[in-house]
Amino acid sequence: MSRRKRMMEDLDQDIRDFIERETQDNIERGMPPEEARYAALRKFGNVTQVKEDTREVWSLVWLEQLWQDVRHAVRQLGRTPGFAAMAVLTLALGIGATTAIFTVVNAVLLRPLPYPHAEELVYVHEILDNYGATGVAGVSEFAAWRDQSRTLNPVAAYTDSWFNLAGGGDPERITAGLATSAFFSLLGVRPLTGRLFLPEEDRPGGPPVAVLSEALWKRRYRGEASVIGSSVTLDGKAYTVAGVLPRTFVLPADSKIDYALWVPLIANQTGAGPMGVVRVIGRLRAGMRLETARSELNTILRSTRAGGPEGWVKSVTLSTWQEQITQKSRLSLLLFLGAVGFLLLIACVNVANLLLSHAATRQKEMAVRLAVGAGTRRIIRQLLTESGLLALLGGVLGLALAHSAKDLLVTFISSNLPALEPIRLDYRVLAFCLALAVVTGLAFGVAPALQASRVSLNEVLKEAKRSASEPRSGMPFRDLLLISETALAMMLLVGGGLLFRSFLRVRGIDLGFKSKNVLSMTVDLTPSEYTTPNVQAAFFQQLMEKIRGLEGVQAVAGSSCPPLGNRETSVTTRLNVEGQGVDVPDARTTAVSPDYFRAMGIPLMQGRYFTEADHESSLNVAIVDESFARRYCPGGKCPGGRIVSWVRRREWLTIVGVVANARDSAEAEPHPKVYLPFSQASEPYMTMLVRTAGNPKLWTSAVRSQVASVDKNQPPHDLMTLEDLRTQSLTPRRVSVLLVGAFAALGLILASVGIYGVVSYSVSQRTHEIGIRMALGAARGDVLKVVSGPRLRAVLIGTGLGVAASIGLTRFLQSMLFDVKPTDPATFVSVSFILLAVAWLACYIPARRATKVDPMVALRHE
Amino acid sequence: MSTKEQRERIELLQGTLDLLILRTLRLGPTHGHAIAKAIEFRSEDVLQVEQGSLYPALHRLIKRGWISVQDGTSENNRRAKFYRLTARGRRQLEVETGKWDKLAGAIARILRPAESEGES
Repeated sequence: MSRRKRMMEDLDQDIRDFIERETQDNIERGMPPEEARYAALRKFGNVTQVKEDTREVWSLVWLEQLWQDVRHAVRQLGRTPGFAAMAVLTLALGIGATTAIFTVVNAVLLRPLPYPHAEELVYVHEILDNYGATGVAGVSEFAAWRDQSRTLNPVAAYTDSWFNLAGGGDPERITAGLATSAFFSLLGVRPLTGRLFLPEEDRPGGPPVAVLSEALWKRRYRGEASVIGSSVTLDGKAYTVAGVLPRTFVLPADSKIDYALWVPLIANQTGAGPMGVVRVIGRLRAGMRLETARSELNTILRSTRAGGPEGWVKSVTLSTWQEQITQKSRLSLLLFLGAVGFLLLIACVNVANLLLSHAATRQKEMAVRLAVGAGTRRIIRQLLTESGLLALLGGVLGLALAHSAKDLLVTFISSNLPALEPIRLDYRVLAFCLALAVVTGLAFGVAPALQASRVSLNEVLKEAKRSASEPRSGMPFRDLLLISETALAMMLLVGGGLLFRSFLRVRGIDLGFKSKNVLSMTVDLTPSEYTTPNVQAAFFQQLMEKIRGLEGVQAVAGSSCPPLGNRETSVTTRLNVEGQGVDVPDARTTAVSPDYFRAMGIPLMQGRYFTEADHESSLNVAIVDESFARRYCPGGKCPGGRIVSWVRRREWLTIVGVVANARDSAEAEPHPKVYLPFSQASEPYMTMLVRTAGNPKLWTSAVRSQVASVDKNQPPHDLMTLEDLRTQSLTPRRVSVLLVGAFAALGLILASVGIYGVVSYSVSQRTHEIGIRMALGAARGDVLKVVSGPRLRAVLIGTGLGVAASIGLTRFLQSMLFDVKPTDPATFVSVSFILLAVAWLACYIPARRATKVDPMVALRHE
Repeated sequence: MSTKEQRERIELLQGTLDLLILRTLRLGPTHGHAIAKAIEFRSEDVLQVEQGSLYPALHRLIKRGWISVQDGTSENNRRAKFYRLTARGRRQLEVETGKWDKLAGAIARILRPAESEGES
């Protein structure tokens, strides 16, 4: 039995007892029993009332009153379905969009990585003195940390590589992961079948073993258990299959690599990424801090410096793995969240405006309720319940909206996201949405409620009709709302505008080569089959001739590191220019076929192009680009000069020509370039660039089949048009522009709806006044000015404030802009113009109605 | 009950009833009727306890933990609800009494400045 119920029973007994005693007293005073009882009852008073009052002591009065308020609010909203629908939809839009973005933010930035005790996982990488953060670490440093660290346990490393997989079907180019033996246990991964790497397999000369991904196992080996213990051929070498990894194992790296299989890292070190660098992760021992681990790893690093390459000063930096993974997407996600937050604020302001107009039509109701004794606080509570109910309805609808929009959104912005667990609505998103609804309910409800409860009883009850001119106290507040929503819309527009201009700038950049109608295709030769530079060069020579023979092919060229490519091995090398005595720290060297410059449309500035005469046994030659020439050649005249490369054979190369600059990508800082003839600097990989007479996609299968006709065991990959590659490289930027642009457009629409609403309300309130003015001879223009003037002034103030706030805020956008200043005047002027034009329309359309008022009708209206 | 009588009676200030109930219960546990009678008797009938406010007040005090209620047997062997001052209620009574003295003193000084000055 509840305490309240027990107490009420006690009370009953006590009241009976009280009355009996009083009766007794009365009898003792000489009253007849009947009368004595009656007098006692009369003295006690209203028993029911006493019980009610006492019950209230024990009851949750506010809960019961809340229930009353909710029922009343439901009835109220049902009476004005148009208003309710408008408010709920506006809120649903704001809350839904915010929740959808938060869902992504939650999944990417807030939810821990899908590993046991993920918060202890740290990422270790090195900083080079003249270069900055590398994102990777050397294998030898890793080994030292693994063996000596007392703050991290264990330390593991991984990287990725490509192999030509043969046996069990057509040869295919696969991406393989290389991992040390501690890697899988560090991440708590168990094999689906078989086993993972043993420590003795993870050392130089260890036995060749591989672990398949579930996808590859199912696809290529039909999921047969017999594959365990059998062998697969990778780059011509046999590997024993040790086990299969479950599908649930994902590596949330920032690039979406689809690992087909894994091999031990140390045993396959030759393939361990360019120049023997790996990604290092570790688990922080209990109680250890990042800072402690960092200084320890730095100490270990310094002690192993002895054998390192000269001239590079390294240090270590540590971050949590999650931070490292989400670093790139954090800024754009926060930008989206900020933009959508502004949108939500505009929605709130709009609903506050709606509520104000709504409250004005209910002034009489409020006055009557006040007159019959309702307290101001009670009325405010009632109104807040109504706005809270609106917000909750909006929240529920918004949640549904977010749920349906989420997959679309994820597909849309996935280019900005690390590959994580499926993005879903979890309890945190639900809590966020609920909190949003409650806060917005209060935010847009408080001011109107306060205003509505401050009703002047006399005036309202006396006046049977609407007041002749608008109430003085009501309007300034509405104008404040207009000012704030205009300012918010302005800020959104400025953000969207700056991103859009940056996008146009990046898209408009001249890359320095002709990307139209070029198909690119990469072939990585199996090293065991193409062992010497000569055979490698011969393969590509033959392939290019075959492709050149295809009908409609205008030119074919090869490059070891083509522009717009995703090959991370574009070699940054140190060069020494003869007679200069200085190192060139940041030049990129690329091996190209003689036709490369003609096929790509890169003009020659000095000297000559490569020719077939530049072969393996002739003079070592090089071509540099203009930026190299300007910086390192005396007087910009290069031909005849000589350079030596540290990575190449350390032989002198004679510069024979200078070509125009060609950029690797639109956004990256262009580096000075050195081109070498592929016959003298062959690589086991080459990207074919095929210029075609029409849409290059039509040549895809023909070009692919030429590879098979030369050697069917060498799988081509990444068949793409350069145009597509260019478009792809713009995707993250396009997504930001479209998303922020959409929020800005929605903000503008909501703001103009708000302006429209305020002006039409004011017109409808002032019909009588306008009628008088017109009867007295006011012209249309005067009427327009009276009705829309103050609103336009508010819009102007709002725009000004929006500009000022934007100037303060856009610097946070700086890193997302390209060749556009955060305070770009052109952007500010053009978006102000758009905003003012739309605002003026939103004012003018309803205001025009005022000029059509018939004075006779308006005056009779009274 | 004559009209004159009623005019001489004073309505209790909000919260004062609580204080009086606590004070009454300090003499020992007793039932509702006796509390009302005691207050009326001790104030020489100046203070009239409305039943309408007595019971809500009693329950408010129970809720705050200043008094407790239990079954008991009264002088003439009848079962009744007995209210009893708790330890917390006893402390509260001291605090409230102190406050009341201050308040009464302050009001008296304002209303009768000459007297209090003359006395001092």
